[in-house]
Amino acid sequence: MNRRTKLILAAVIGVAAVVGGAGVAYAMQDASGQLRASGQAGEQADGYLGIVGSPSADLRAQVDAVNIKRRAYYTDLAAKRGAKIEEVAATTACELFRTKVGPGQYYRGTDGTWRQRDAGAPVPLPGYCG
Amino acid sequence: MTPAILTRLRRDATRGAMGLARCLLAAPVAALLAGCVQVSAPEKPIEINLNINIRQEVVVRLQQDVKNLIENNPGVF
Repeated sequence: MNRRTKLILAAVIGVAAVVGGAGVAYAMQDASGQLRASGQAGEQADGYLGIVGSPSADLRAQVDAVNIKRRAYYTDLAAKRGAKIEEVAATTACELFRTKVGPGQYYRGTDGTWRQRDAGAPVPLPGYCG
Repeated sequence: MTPAILTRLRRDATRGAMGLARCLLAAPVAALLAGCVQVSAPEKPIEINLNINIRQEVVVRLQQDVKNLIENNPGVF
């Protein structure tokens, strides 16, 4: 192996590392968006992600990881504003239903049934959403 | 002999009452500690529960905060 080949090899490894790292960072950054887009998880009226079908252990772990973070944010905001955690969570769900559930993605309203958002129609909101 | 036994019984009763008082005092402290710990993480996967009453005025009051929360944490929401 001459010097040039070594250099090229090093460059290839370097690029692969950067691209791979960016990929991991991206996946971490938009975990909830990807879960919604996959159709395996959807937004619930209680402000948490839910699993639409039967969960694999891996999927369950991903959804739980997101929900644990959500719960911490809800708890924090509830304490700051003197509201109940459930109220903060439900308000967030209103907003997520409005802005984050794309056409064809799943949501679960107050009746507990999973539904798929129609293309071209917004997600129907629970009555208490402002 | 009888008075001695009576005294001892009464002393036991007093000690019992003190134990109870100590226990009652400890309860709020424990509750306080539990309240502090709770902030960290949920114990269980969360199941849908909307049997609670959501007050619309609270939803309206929280709306801007919630919008900011979602905007600032794109991976979580």
